[in-house]
Amino acid sequence: MPVDFDSRPRAVAGRAPDVFDPKGGFVPMRSYDEDEAVDFVIVGTGAGGGTLAARLAELGFSVVAFDAGPFFRPLLDFASDETAQNSLYWTDKRVCDGENPIKMGGNNSGKAVGGSTVHFAMVSLRFRPEWFKSRSALGYGADWPLDWREMWHYYTVAERALAIAGPVHYPWGPKRPRYPYRAHEINAAGRLLAQGCEALGYRWAETPLATVSAPRGKSPPCVYRGFCRFGCSTNAKQSALTVWIPRALKAGAEIRDLAMVGRIEVDDQGLARGVHYVREGKWRFQRARHVVISAYAIETPRLLLNSATDRFPQGLANSSGLVGRNLMTQSNQAAWGRMEDQVRWYKGPPSLTITEHWNYEDRGKDFFGGYCWMGQGPMPIEWVSVQTGARGLWGERLRTEMMDYNHQIGVKMVGEMLPDEANRVTLDSDTDQYGLPIPRITYRWGDNDKRLIKHALDQMMMSLDSVGATKLFRQEDDTNHLAGTARMGFTPETSVVDADCRSWDIPNLWICDGSVFPTTGGVNPALTIQAIALRTADRIKALAIRGEL
Amino acid sequence: MQEGSCQDNGSHTRDHAAPEGGAGSSVPDAPMSAELAPAARAPLYAARDLNRCSGLLALSVLLDSSVEHYRGNFHNKAMYTPLSVSTLSLAASVHGVTGRRPLGHKTRLAVFALAIVTGVAGTLFHVYDIIRKPGGFSWQNLFYSAPLGAPSALTVAGLTGFFAERVRRGQTQVFGQDAARLAAITSAVAMVGTTAEAGLLHFRGAFHNPFMFLPVAMPPIAAGFLAYAGITTPRTAYPFTRRLLTATSLMGLAGTAFHVYGVSRAMGGWRNWQQNMVDGPPIPAPPSFSALAFAGIAALRLLGAKAPNGPERLGATKTGATGAVPRA
Ligand SMILES: Cc1cc2nc3c(=O)[nH]c(=O)nc-3n(C[C@H](O)[C@H](O)[C@H](O)COP(=O)(O)OP(=O)(O)OC[C@H]3O[C@@H](n4cnc5c(N)ncnc54)[C@H](O)[C@@H]3O)c2cc1C
Ligand code: SF4
Repeated sequence: MPVDFDSRPRAVAGRAPDVFDPKGGFVPMRSYDEDEAVDFVIVGTGAGGGTLAARLAELGFSVVAFDAGPFFRPLLDFASDETAQNSLYWTDKRVCDGENPIKMGGNNSGKAVGGSTVHFAMVSLRFRPEWFKSRSALGYGADWPLDWREMWHYYTVAERALAIAGPVHYPWGPKRPRYPYRAHEINAAGRLLAQGCEALGYRWAETPLATVSAPRGKSPPCVYRGFCRFGCSTNAKQSALTVWIPRALKAGAEIRDLAMVGRIEVDDQGLARGVHYVREGKWRFQRARHVVISAYAIETPRLLLNSATDRFPQGLANSSGLVGRNLMTQSNQAAWGRMEDQVRWYKGPPSLTITEHWNYEDRGKDFFGGYCWMGQGPMPIEWVSVQTGARGLWGERLRTEMMDYNHQIGVKMVGEMLPDEANRVTLDSDTDQYGLPIPRITYRWGDNDKRLIKHALDQMMMSLDSVGATKLFRQEDDTNHLAGTARMGFTPETSVVDADCRSWDIPNLWICDGSVFPTTGGVNPALTIQAIALRTADRIKALAIRGEL
Repeated sequence: MQEGSCQDNGSHTRDHAAPEGGAGSSVPDAPMSAELAPAARAPLYAARDLNRCSGLLALSVLLDSSVEHYRGNFHNKAMYTPLSVSTLSLAASVHGVTGRRPLGHKTRLAVFALAIVTGVAGTLFHVYDIIRKPGGFSWQNLFYSAPLGAPSALTVAGLTGFFAERVRRGQTQVFGQDAARLAAITSAVAMVGTTAEAGLLHFRGAFHNPFMFLPVAMPPIAAGFLAYAGITTPRTAYPFTRRLLTATSLMGLAGTAFHVYGVSRAMGGWRNWQQNMVDGPPIPAPPSFSALAFAGIAALRLLGAKAPNGPERLGATKTGATGAVPRA
């Protein structure tokens, strides 16, 4: 791993790293003056911010996008080593409390140009259409101000942009166009999931993944080495870093890496003026006509709260009091077991097959919401932490259990947790390395969440049992993706932003990332975040044309 | 260029003068009229053309199954079979091409029969490999399990060799059917089968390069014309069909170049050839189109020889070359 990222940004002096150049070359980058009020400043370059930066620049706006993390060159920087890749995660100081504190870090937040998508697992799923109307159609959570048909269109655009490799026919939900790339070959772990589903009478499918199964531009096809959640060192992965950031740069956006935004400045009229950020140890200010926050569900509310002024003492965009509230994670429990034959589950992307049965089946449930489960392939150190954490193994027993690594199989859920105002992000009195108050993250599983988890664990255990796995055990504690804390909605009283991701309170302040989700659904969120960002860009253009920006 | 490799390309004058031809009882010795001799010799030429094709197909099978079965770790001992049988077929074909006696050969015949049977058995094995997996006949298994169409290439190699044996002996009938027609139709059908295989695998590759549509679009047209020639009254010349087949054979060679390029696009490119040759696009696969196109051209020659107005090749080879390429 290269050293010293914290002090030396790479995207400077009119050029940015060429992520596809194995020799460490650069691509030209447009640079803007700090005194020049650019059309859009975007804070965060992940699924939301990266997508938006590319699209806004392509639509002709001037864009400067900031990321607190480094600008990696996957071909040169990424090691096939679990611990070496820790530098991808957001591991800044945070306080986690509540009845079920969320474990923060690698499992749920990235800190890099490209955001969490740099080390995400590439699972690219669409919401079930009814989830956009959870409250009115299914009786729980909140309705989204978005129409599923419009989202269907943007999902398609996102899937094309990311060359998603998926099955020829997806067995759930309304018709969708064929995935741009064909599904990957499934590994033994994926096949066992399929067998389990067939035994239970459920449908299964190859998981649509954002890694290519055939060459695409400068991306080679996936080599099935399975380091996806530690950064893909081949660029087969279609992350924001390899897809949206190159597009953004080409269209004239400037990316500032290792640039932590600490405060949004608001002027006397109550409009955002720009952002204060720290880069190379110095605080700076970038002027902007519009500010977009895409810093994900913890850092977005933190920045809004940290930007409080006399005029907005509760923090920006917070007249509803909902900034930081309704934080959601997703349940990520697992069932594990052992097969007589070798499985070698680490081969290939971890989640090659999926069943969304319980996302689309409402009968026989004693809970609201849905979940899916997918094949698994934890790397050895990850697997040790399951053994020590979920099973409390240590010493000789741990050693013998680890000898079974190649025989192990497992399935893991992604389950919907319901929004609850008490689950929230607030500011703590402690400060981080930049001198900014750190977030306090409070979380508790609701009764509905617990019923859903129990249902899923029972089902997953049955599926493992039906393929002849032995030594079954449940991992009861894991959670993963985040959402909520700046929900979109229909009115200023009940939400933070409108359907266009524009804050109700400050017309030139936008929020475009996973925090706008009113509910989180039973699928991984990144494709939905990208679809929303694509829509937001089009809406901004339309509003600009009408003079309503 | 295919003319040189699979067709006698007007070199009949040289063959013609070869002394060993005298052994063929069906060919009259001594002064042969220019009209008669080539017609009488046509079976031998055609047989050797067919052997070139069976050899090329066998070579393609040998290389392809070596790589693919190595990739499959030879986990089943039966996976060595196509390697040995295709090697034998290749040897028999070479023997056929170099042999100038217009007589059948028992060992060759046996080898080709073995190739036919092996191909059929291989297909059954591959079907079994597909249906035993979850999902059965699903796209996933068709894409990534043992390729359904691959073993039939060995069957076609065997059949082509088998026809060559019959034709060489001057037999006009095979399996109770006209040999020339059967050769044309077999190549046409095999070409459609190969197209299906290429189509499946290029679909798996999401047609990410527009050129990937070519082997799906062109061979069926050529095969259609070839099959049409096989079922209609023989004509002296088939200039258009020939051109299509020539183009198809060139496409097969170009396909190899594309696959070489495809390997370079995988992680590590050719520096990592040990992995990428195995996992990337199969380099030995596209020439099977060339082999089948050559077989088709040979079949056209046989048909031409049956035409009421004399052998097709006379009309086509007046200038020495077939004239097919330059005048396309
Ligand atoms: C291990 C892992 C696996 C995952 N697997 C999947 C999956 O398979 N499928 C799926 O759909 N989702 C997956 N996710 C979730 C998905 O990656 C996230 O939901 C998504 O990336 C969130 O998008 P975002 O734009 O909201 O935030 P992010 O992508 O996290 O981007 C936020 C960016 O903002 C930057 N930032 C934050 N604060 C500041 C600041 N103050 N100043 C400057 N920059 C700042 C951060 O450095 C970060 O780069 C996974 C996540 C993880 C961690
Ligand atoms: S398995 Fe594929 S997507 Fe995952 S890290 Fe390796 S090449 Fe990248």
